[in-house]
Amino acid sequence: MSDQSNIRVLLVDDEEALLEFLSKRLLKQGFTVKAAFSGEEAIQVAKEEPYDVAVVDLKMPGIDGVETQKRLKEIQPFLQCIVLTGHGSIESALESGQRDAFQYLLKPVDYDNLLALIKDAYKKKVDIQEARFREQVEEIYRSGMGAHGIKKAIAELHKIYGIE
Amino acid sequence: MGSNRSLQVKLKRIAQELASHKSELHQTRRYLQCILQNSKDLIFATDVDGLLVSFSSGGEKLLGYSWKEVAGSPVKNLAYDPESFELFMATCHQEGSAVQLDLPFRDKAGNTVYCNVSLINLTNREGQRVGTVGVCQDITLWKNMQEDLVRIDRLAEIGRIAAGVAHEINNPLAIISEASGWAAEVIGDAEGLSLEARKELEKVVGSISAQTKRGRRITHQLLDFARDSAPGKTEFDVHELLEETISFLRPELKHLPIETHFKFSPGPLRINSDPRMLEQIFVNLIANGIHAIREKGGEKGRIDIRTLKKNSEVEISVEDSGVGIPEKDRQKIFDLFYTTKTAGKGTGLGLPICQNIAKKLGGNITFHSKAGVGTTFTVRIPID
Repeated sequence: MSDQSNIRVLLVDDEEALLEFLSKRLLKQGFTVKAAFSGEEAIQVAKEEPYDVAVVDLKMPGIDGVETQKRLKEIQPFLQCIVLTGHGSIESALESGQRDAFQYLLKPVDYDNLLALIKDAYKKKVDIQEARFREQVEEIYRSGMGAHGIKKAIAELHKIYGIE
Repeated sequence: MGSNRSLQVKLKRIAQELASHKSELHQTRRYLQCILQNSKDLIFATDVDGLLVSFSSGGEKLLGYSWKEVAGSPVKNLAYDPESFELFMATCHQEGSAVQLDLPFRDKAGNTVYCNVSLINLTNREGQRVGTVGVCQDITLWKNMQEDLVRIDRLAEIGRIAAGVAHEINNPLAIISEASGWAAEVIGDAEGLSLEARKELEKVVGSISAQTKRGRRITHQLLDFARDSAPGKTEFDVHELLEETISFLRPELKHLPIETHFKFSPGPLRINSDPRMLEQIFVNLIANGIHAIREKGGEKGRIDIRTLKKNSEVEISVEDSGVGIPEKDRQKIFDLFYTTKTAGKGTGLGLPICQNIAKKLGGNITFHSKAGVGTTFTVRIPID
């Protein structure tokens, strides 16, 4: 379970009962879980803390799932979003050009399937994040600043990427 | 003498006229015979009492009776409903002119044959009615097509409504699913439960989660059914897809005494269509075949999958050695929610979904079945 303890999951759904049980199960599995009951709340939360994977319901009052995941990615570009829908509108969501979600899933989801997807999404997040991090570190070294400058710039990067 | 001569001339002229009339009559008769022999329509004539005096070869082919079998019998007996046919004949008598109506007949084998029937009174030179002439055109194909269209329309409408309901049900279903999952974990961790109580609780929670999955299967299938997405176009090999489908079903086949055989046309069978949609048809048809074989029981079952390239389309047939479809169910197998499986096993969605997909791909599905011997479903899909 230790490999899951560092996965930070943000759950976004207006169905409070669903989030209650889902977060309890994920917490027990060892995930770090935060529940938000609307898109607005999720965006607020994302401004305060970094997350790895967001599970977002497509249909919510206020800003919907597609818009929510778009804005979440603006705040945290490496965050991977799994979008849930109770509707047969997976394709309509895809067709409207919202292809940046990691995966669309039809509700009710198969729990084991969701677990596996969260882990896959986490892997993808780490991969692209590390690749980008290395790129930027190399850029800093190439930039020819002094040791002090490099140290400061890398510390800045650590902060951006949420790496302690 | 002179009068004798003129008489002879007259006689000669009459003889000539007669010969010319005779040849005209002959010509007309030939003409009529040609029509009666060549027309695909059922053309008949009756006497005043409605007894058959003529029955065209088109009629023999259409209804399967020979002229000898029907000669002299009441024409109304050929109709599906003799009484309404008689009523129709009566209307013709009164109107005097031609009347038209769509009426079903029954052929020798007992099948219904829809005809557009036009009747007209046959009169003699004095204008008296001596019988009735009928021309009946087979419109069964047209009628069936019309019924298909109405049914498909109705299906689509039911599908749309059901999908709306399915959507609303998915949310509570999701909560039940997570709640029962959580309950299972709480029970697993709980201390101080008696073994008996633990077992009972596990059983109950297991049942909740199994039923939730069942509900989910139904709502997801419904949404699949109602989803009005346009099929994609990808070039792929039908044989490869069929092999993938079978390997996808392998876990289900593994423990069953069922052999699957591919009887493919030589080489790859490349078409331009939607492989995922087509796969859904194959999975459904093969799963149905498996079910039919299990239903029958016995030692060994067999599923044959054949492919055939036919002009601009491909034909894929799935033949099983299962129980077969009873005559009374054949009409209804493509109806939404119609199922012969026991409660909980079938949703009644599989075949309507298949038909819907085939239609979207520009093809169709047909079947023939023999009770106790097996069923063959044939899917036809355009190559491009």
